[in-house]
Formats: sequence, C-alpha cells, structure tokens
Amino acid sequence: MKDELFTMTPDMPAMSPEMLARWQEELRRNSLRMKHFSEMIMNPKEPEVGPTPREEIYRKGKSRLWRYASKRTVKTPLLFVPNLGISRPYIFDLMPKGSFIEHMTDKGFDFYLVDWGVFGPEDNGLTLEHAVTKILPRLAKKALESSGATEMSVLGYCMGAPLSLSWLASTPEFPVKNYIDMAGPIDFSQVGLFGLWLDARYFDVDKYVDTLGAIPADMVKMGFKLLKPTMDVSTNLNLWWNLWNPDYVAGFNALNKWANEYLPFPGEFFRQWVKEYYQQNRLYKGELTMGGRPVRLGSIRCPVLAVGAKEDNIAPPGCVKPLISAVSSVDKEYVELPGGHISLIAGRGASVHCWPKVSSWLSARS
Amino acid sequence: MADNSATQQLFDLWKKQVDEGTQAWLRMAGQGTAPDPQAFWRPFMDQGMQAWSKVMTQGTASPDLLAQWKQFLDQWIAAWSKVLEQAMGTENFAQAMGKQLEGFLNVSGPAKKAAEQQIEVGLSTLGLPSRTLVIGLAKQIAGLEEKIEGLEDRLDAVLARLDGLAGKKAPG
Repeated sequence: MKDELFTMTPDMPAMSPEMLARWQEELRRNSLRMKHFSEMIMNPKEPEVGPTPREEIYRKGKSRLWRYASKRTVKTPLLFVPNLGISRPYIFDLMPKGSFIEHMTDKGFDFYLVDWGVFGPEDNGLTLEHAVTKILPRLAKKALESSGATEMSVLGYCMGAPLSLSWLASTPEFPVKNYIDMAGPIDFSQVGLFGLWLDARYFDVDKYVDTLGAIPADMVKMGFKLLKPTMDVSTNLNLWWNLWNPDYVAGFNALNKWANEYLPFPGEFFRQWVKEYYQQNRLYKGELTMGGRPVRLGSIRCPVLAVGAKEDNIAPPGCVKPLISAVSSVDKEYVELPGGHISLIAGRGASVHCWPKVSSWLSARS
Repeated sequence: MADNSATQQLFDLWKKQVDEGTQAWLRMAGQGTAPDPQAFWRPFMDQGMQAWSKVMTQGTASPDLLAQWKQFLDQWIAAWSKVLEQAMGTENFAQAMGKQLEGFLNVSGPAKKAAEQQIEVGLSTLGLPSRTLVIGLAKQIAGLEEKIEGLEDRLDAVLARLDGLAGKKAPG
C-alpha cells in the first residue's frame, strides 16, 4: 500500500540511460533559457557594438569618414559606401568575431567607411545629387589623401552601390582600382516588392515629400517590416530556441539593437531616389545626370565584382546581376551567395561565404 | 497504445480552418489564381502529423520531438510568409496601400501644418526661438561649411599649381 501511494508512475516504461541524459540536457537548456530570458527582461544590458578601433578622418555636415585600425599590408585602400538613411552603419562592425570590418582589417586592408549620419529637418533639402556630387567625392578625396595611395577600391552596399556608381560613372577621372557591388540594386525593374509598391501609379512621392518634409524613421520601419511580416515571429521563435546559448543571445542583442534603430530620409533625397531610380530606372537606362554630367555605367572599366544574395527581398539577385552586363570592364564577376540582404554581410553565414569571397577577390587585385 | 482518432479529428478541423483562412485572405487581397492549398500545406502538415503520431504511439517521448516541433513551426511561418508575399506582390495590394497612404497624408498634412503654426505662434509669444528659426540657422551653418570647403579646394588648386611651377623652375 505504501509503495503504491508513493510511486509516482509505476506503469511508465523504463527510460534508457541515453534518453535520460538527453532529457537532462534539455532540462539544462530550459533552465538556461529561463535564466537568460529573465536577464533580458529584468536587467537588459546595452550591447556593445563597433568593436574595431577607428579614427575620424573628416566630417562634412552630418557625414563622417572613418578609418579603421589595420596592419595596412594591402596596397590599395578600400572605401565602403553604405546606404543613406534607413539604418546605422555599425551593422558592418557589429561585434568581435562578427564584423565585416574586422575581417577586412585583419586581412590588411586600409578600410574607410562613409557614415552618412543621421539627418534632421534642417537637411530636408539635401538632394541625392548633392550626396553623390558633393559629399561622396569629398570624403573619397580625403580617404585617398589620408591613405597616401594613388588608387582606391570602392565597395557599395545596398543603396550605397547605386549611389557610389552614380558618382563613379559620372566622374571617370577618379582613380578607382576595383569596384564591388554588394546587394546593391542596379536594374530597378527587377527590384521586387518595393518596386511595385513605389510604382508611380500607386505611390505619389511628390505628395508624400511635400506633406511630410522628410520620411520619418517610423515610416521607413513600417515599409521594411511589411516586406517580411513574419520576420518578427520567426526571430522570436529562433531566439526562444537558442536562448540557452549565451553566444547566440549576445549576437541577438547586438543585431536586435541595430534592427530597431531606423533612420529617416531627407525629403528631397527620397523624392529623387524614388523617382529617378525606382520609378524611372534611369541609372540602368543610362538616362541619369549628376552635376550636369551623364552617368554612364559603361564608362566603368575597372575590375567589378557583383554579389547577390539568394534570399534577398530588398535587392533580389535579378536587380544586382545586370551590373555585369552594364559595365565595360574586362575583369568582371557575379556571384550569388546564400542568405538574405543582411545575412549576406552580417552573421555566421556571412563569415563563411561572403567575407572570404570579397577579401580574396579584392586582395588578388589590390 | 493511445487512441489518436480524436487528435486526428481536431487536427483535420484545424487544417481545414487554415486552408479556408488562406483562401479568404487571398480573395481579400485580390489574388486571381490561388495556389492549391493542399499542395501548399501538405509537406509540413505531414511532418506535424508524424510528430503527433510519434507522441501518441511511443511509450517514452524523446527530446527530438521538440526539434521536430520547432521545424514544424518554422515551416508554418515560412508558408505564411509565402502566402503573404504572394498577396502583397499584387497590383491590387499596391493600389490599396497607395490609397491608404494618400488618405493618411490627406488627414495628417493639414493637422501637421496647423500644429506647427500653433507651436510657432506659442514659441514666438514666449520669446523663444522657433523650430523654423533653428532649422534656418542650421542651414546657414551648412552653407558656410560649403563655402569654406570651396575655398579649401581653390587653395589646394593654387598650391598644386605653385608646386608645379616650382618643379619646373628647379632644374634650371
């Protein structure tokens, strides 16, 4: 009688020692999940981002030029041009062992980053043309002076690719040694959902800019969230699944900080960006002018590498690849790597696929 | 061995509701040709059923079931993502969104303007610099910076010319 009362599950089949060990591991993970979850809620820590040492070389208005510490064993310096607005550039130097910039500086590149800055209402009149013909050339000139080199490689990421190409294709005198387009849209007729939503038939950009003056960060956030509505659910599900792993949690915190820090667009910049690039596809058609000069992708003759991401829904591979046929370069290559728009350049997959490809391609030509 | 017919019935009911929900969503978004819902849901439904069957028939549950459950949820999310992407990739959706935005601008535009005017009047009454004034000042500073840069460029050009001239004279 006593045994029957105090035996919890007398009919339960015996569990093998191996199974028991696995359940114990699962329980251990669950207790770690609870511990990390309570830490995230009760005692959230501000993640430290941007670990690679750097110095400010030049400042123009809100924009800055950063030079990152490296051995500088590669002869040709590299100028990295990211997107203007939308998000902060520390995604490229997110955390130790999880940083594209750290990878490139470890490989000996003299690395310069264009940080466009955070624009306010006083910058609503800033046009895309000003960014391309005034800010970018100035920062590039300063980078060249600072490095002491006579030539420079340029890497454009996302919007940074059409911006930097608009500058280089209208400034053939700039001594560009190599060019890399990383997930940067070129043929805007192939740009996917954003292309459809920003179509002139449905989206009145003039009314938008004239009414709001600038594109608020919340609007930018809404647009990107809408592009992948299930993203937050899958992110949180993956967080729960990996919550026992402190490395994953650290990476998540850093990435989450970046992913929720959206930036506004200056109004006039947005007007020109949507009209001339998205709606009229003028860069690819060769109909664009910058500072009175024609922008001809065909005038680019240096070695070119275009990198598309298979799962990219912001700049699908179909709109990146056409750069290869548009430039006049003899040495040109297109690669399509696993990942999405962000995971192409940040995260574990990027350190395996993208970073080594970019650094090896560039090293061989620098 | 556990009787799983009741679970199966519930599962079938849930699956049916999901199919109908998807169809309704697609109709609402104006999708002309809807994908075959059976083909669409089958792969991960089967996997989910396998996981359930395992739970019902196995004497001892294995932690693998949690991994399978996670995989099932991943596929579930991926499937929804695909449905939403298809719906949002239609002209009708783009048109509806454009109209929504226009409506928002029609309401927010005058409201924003009125609020700005009120604030402007209020600040000026209190003798404080208004937003317009501060923005104007910031623009002036940016303009000055431009002018200094222009001078710097011209100075660089002059110095480069002087260096060139000095270089020419030096050998002689």
